[in-house]
Amino acid sequence: MSENGELLSIEHLSVEFFTEDGAAKAVQDVSLKIRKGKTFALVGESGCGKSVTALSIMRLIPEPPGKITSGKIIFKGSNLLSLTEKQMRRIRGDKIAMVFQEPMTSLNPVYTVGEQIVEAIELHQKKTAEQAWADAVEMLQKVGIADPQQRVVEYPHQMSGGMRQRVMVAMAISCRPALLIADEPTTALDVTIQAQILDLLDHLQKEIGMSILLITHDLGIVAERANEVAVMYASRIAEVADSESLFAEPLHPYTQGLLKSLPQLGLSVKRLPTISGTVPDPLHFPTGCKFHPRCPIGCNDKRCQTVEPELRKVDWWGKDPTLQNRERCVACWYAPGYETNVEYKEYESRYGRHK
Amino acid sequence: MNQQMQKKPDWGLSYGELVWREFFKSRLNAACLIFIVFLFAVAVLAPFLANDKPFVIRIDGRLHFPIFASLSASDYSVFLAAIVGLTQLLLIQRNRRKIEPSIRSEVLWRQVTISIAVILIGTVSAFIFVPRRLDATDYKSMITSGKASGGIFAPVPYGYGRTDLKSREQPPNRRHWLGTDDVGSDVLCRLIHGSRISLSVGFVAVGISSVIGIIIGAILGYFGGGVDFAGMRIVEIMMAVPTFFLIITIVAFFPRSLLNIMIIIGITSWTEDARFIRAEFFRLRRQDFVRAAVSLGLPLRSILFRHMLPNGIAPVLVNATFGIAGAIFIESALSFLGFGVAPPTPSWGQMLSLGVSTTGRFLWWLTLFPGLAIFFTVLTYNLVGEGLRDAIDPRLRKAE
Amino acid sequence: MTTYIVRRLLLMIPTLLGITVMVFAISRLAPGDPVSLSMGPGGQLDAARAADVRKARMALYGLDKPVPVQYAKWLGRVVRLDFGDSIKHHRPVIDIIKERLPITLTLNIIAFVLIYTISLPLGILAAVKHKKLFDRASSVVLFMLWSLPSMWVGQMLIGYFCGPTFKSWFPPAGLSSNYAEQLAFFPWLADRLWHLVLPVFCLTYSGFAYLTKQVRAGMLDNLRADYVRTARAKGLSNWVVIFRHAFRNSIIPVITIVATLLPAMLGGSVIIESIFSVPGMGLLAFEAVTTRDYNVVMAVATIGGVLNLIGLLLGDIAYAVVDPRISFESAE
Repeated sequence: MSENGELLSIEHLSVEFFTEDGAAKAVQDVSLKIRKGKTFALVGESGCGKSVTALSIMRLIPEPPGKITSGKIIFKGSNLLSLTEKQMRRIRGDKIAMVFQEPMTSLNPVYTVGEQIVEAIELHQKKTAEQAWADAVEMLQKVGIADPQQRVVEYPHQMSGGMRQRVMVAMAISCRPALLIADEPTTALDVTIQAQILDLLDHLQKEIGMSILLITHDLGIVAERANEVAVMYASRIAEVADSESLFAEPLHPYTQGLLKSLPQLGLSVKRLPTISGTVPDPLHFPTGCKFHPRCPIGCNDKRCQTVEPELRKVDWWGKDPTLQNRERCVACWYAPGYETNVEYKEYESRYGRHK
Repeated sequence: MNQQMQKKPDWGLSYGELVWREFFKSRLNAACLIFIVFLFAVAVLAPFLANDKPFVIRIDGRLHFPIFASLSASDYSVFLAAIVGLTQLLLIQRNRRKIEPSIRSEVLWRQVTISIAVILIGTVSAFIFVPRRLDATDYKSMITSGKASGGIFAPVPYGYGRTDLKSREQPPNRRHWLGTDDVGSDVLCRLIHGSRISLSVGFVAVGISSVIGIIIGAILGYFGGGVDFAGMRIVEIMMAVPTFFLIITIVAFFPRSLLNIMIIIGITSWTEDARFIRAEFFRLRRQDFVRAAVSLGLPLRSILFRHMLPNGIAPVLVNATFGIAGAIFIESALSFLGFGVAPPTPSWGQMLSLGVSTTGRFLWWLTLFPGLAIFFTVLTYNLVGEGLRDAIDPRLRKAE
Repeated sequence: MTTYIVRRLLLMIPTLLGITVMVFAISRLAPGDPVSLSMGPGGQLDAARAADVRKARMALYGLDKPVPVQYAKWLGRVVRLDFGDSIKHHRPVIDIIKERLPITLTLNIIAFVLIYTISLPLGILAAVKHKKLFDRASSVVLFMLWSLPSMWVGQMLIGYFCGPTFKSWFPPAGLSSNYAEQLAFFPWLADRLWHLVLPVFCLTYSGFAYLTKQVRAGMLDNLRADYVRTARAKGLSNWVVIFRHAFRNSIIPVITIVATLLPAMLGGSVIIESIFSVPGMGLLAFEAVTTRDYNVVMAVATIGGVLNLIGLLLGDIAYAVVDPRISFESAE
């Protein structure tokens, strides 16, 4: 942990999947920093690489066909990617825990809920069986399951989806991890249950003091719960900002498009704006900026079509002065404050007049 | 956004086409299918491949065509079936290009029904109208004795009914490439003709068991409740009876004939198909498209067979290929034990049983070659079944 | 659970009745009968005398009564475990069965144990080393084993290893050598086992190929499951994940295969026992069917049916025990 409260730092992570149809770059040059005690949201459409990024932190990418090709993940001073499997196992479940998307299938159907929680406790902590079971009951209570003494000996199929997700959370926090990764924890649940689970996560975060990496495609959740947001598109990060700045002044055309397409209360429109086109196939990414075929600015711009913009820090450039001095990163040639003078000149000499 | 206007109708790939493509991604599957086609060719063309009569021969200055003259009713029906089958395959190709998918399956059903009807009528007429000609002329001796000349013989110039006690129990040699059996018949010739028995048993038995299984399974699965309860008792009886024992009981007690064997294997192996279809229909019954069909007032026959069945037939198809392998195996076992077709009709299993002679000698060629034939046939069908299952599965997964 | 078992046992009765009716009907309605078969063309007696003898013998065996009556009488006796006498052997059927059943059961149980002992580790290993050489090579071998016809294997084994032509390592027939009676216990046992090697091998190899494939397929499916990912995310080691999580779920279908494996092996016994001349139930069935020994045929059908049903019942019970999602009420 460094002085500015950084818990986990991903630096230039790249992950590839080797399939019979070719090599798919699922994650390219992704960097982000998660701070202690804060919630970091990773947003993007299906297939953009956010889950892969999360699994990479835990090193749960299946080695064939996947492979982490480059990058570092610094956690508490050590690079997780260079640890041995044995060392990594000590971190999993104990220091970094994960909650998955599908509560229906993420629990083993042939063991009771209690047995599965106790398994995690007994693995990482020196406790007797009785203590471990008592802990399990306590965890179930913490996640808001009524009658935990009864529930702890039940099987997953005897519980509803929302309850199973609570069990997953209980299992994940049973060893009080420093970082909880929640991969679309509420996507498979009803809206009302969604709110409950997210409230639960908030509450636990305050109680345990853990950081949360929240992976989602739902911007509504991000606005409510996240401190910082990274927007991913087609294996790369498009923009990183604190959540207030992102929603007030999105810099990347993709983020702008996403926000414009959200229905707004009080505003009546004939048709909701959309981002035309579809997400590219990871086996056949477009050249240059991956978003350019769908970008109102970039679809006709020669530079956007050929040269991929990297993620850069930019200074504040917006209208709202309260958002000054916040850290923001963007990967777009036409984002305010992105282009250097050198690049400007180069553009004009090559392609003619600048937009 | 640029989108290209498409000139020709692009219907996309149908379910069958997807499975077909997935199936052929593996070279092993393709090889097995080629082998099966080869087996079919051998079975259909058997009288031309191994026959002791020549194609053409000159007797007293006039040309005779003994092979063609002595083709039997079963030969004609086999030719008919092969031709109809090929035509059907060509028609399927044409359907893919010309007819749109929504009515394609209807057209296909119609074509298949017509094909089967043609084959059945053709077979029955063949058996009624084609006279049984027994041509016992020994053409070879006629050539050697000079009465005839210019005989062009089949590649394996022996007939399966012809016994030649002088050359009994010979190991493979130049005259008999795979040796001879206990009455002097050429082994290769009997292997070739035996393929007909094996393949026809496979298909007819599986055809019978699939039809019975589908009908029973569909009724049980669709109606459920009391019908299902009573029906499952019957299915349980069939499942609990020791199948092989039942087969040999029936076969032993009734006259030996190929048709009997096919029917008996068919009526004892339907339980798995019935269970598959029942499970599928249970699942499909709750789906909306079935409820829509019912609410439209469609007749039961149509709901069951036109709407539900094509969606649930995949496991039955896979099981059918395994069933063919199983039927071939059972027929061989029956013939081996002495319950199968009677000599001189050639059967691979029966040839196998001659492997150890009455004197205790081990006639290895009578064990090895028929055994290899059975083994490779069963193996290829099993591989095709497995390949089919793998081809269908990922389709299902991706769709979900 | 006991109510479930009792209910299943009670349901077995109509099923057994159904089986016996079916086999009875087939045997009686088919042309021919044992008396005519055993009498043959009857060259010594003139036609009238032959007819008399035939009538007398038919009456002796009760074959002159109408078929339903015959069935009723048979059923009445069976409830008292009296299966009648064998027409061929002239002994009570139950005695013959008492001699032969243990032999078949021994053969099958040994094969069964061998199958499970080898298949489980092999299947797990193949799944864990998926797509590597071990998995690929063993898949091919297993597939071929599964497709080998048992009578061919038996015949080849006898030809190559039991006879004068090639090697003579094993005895070609029977359960014990001729001089076995005179041996002490352990040599007698060794001799017995030596005789059993080839028949057991023939019974084992195909069931083992099938089961290994099933175990492998089940393990592959489960190793990809979400809960395995959760288990790994908890920090469990690879072996714990494989055995405690994936395997525990994979044995569910494998156990239910027990229900189908037993009847299949009993059927296969017919062929194996004929080839190796092992005096078990299979050979008995074969002989009975060829000589129209009705009582033996019915007895074999009944006992075979009972064994099959018990196998099915055990399979269902095991299934409900092993999978907590299945309660006995829903196991129907």
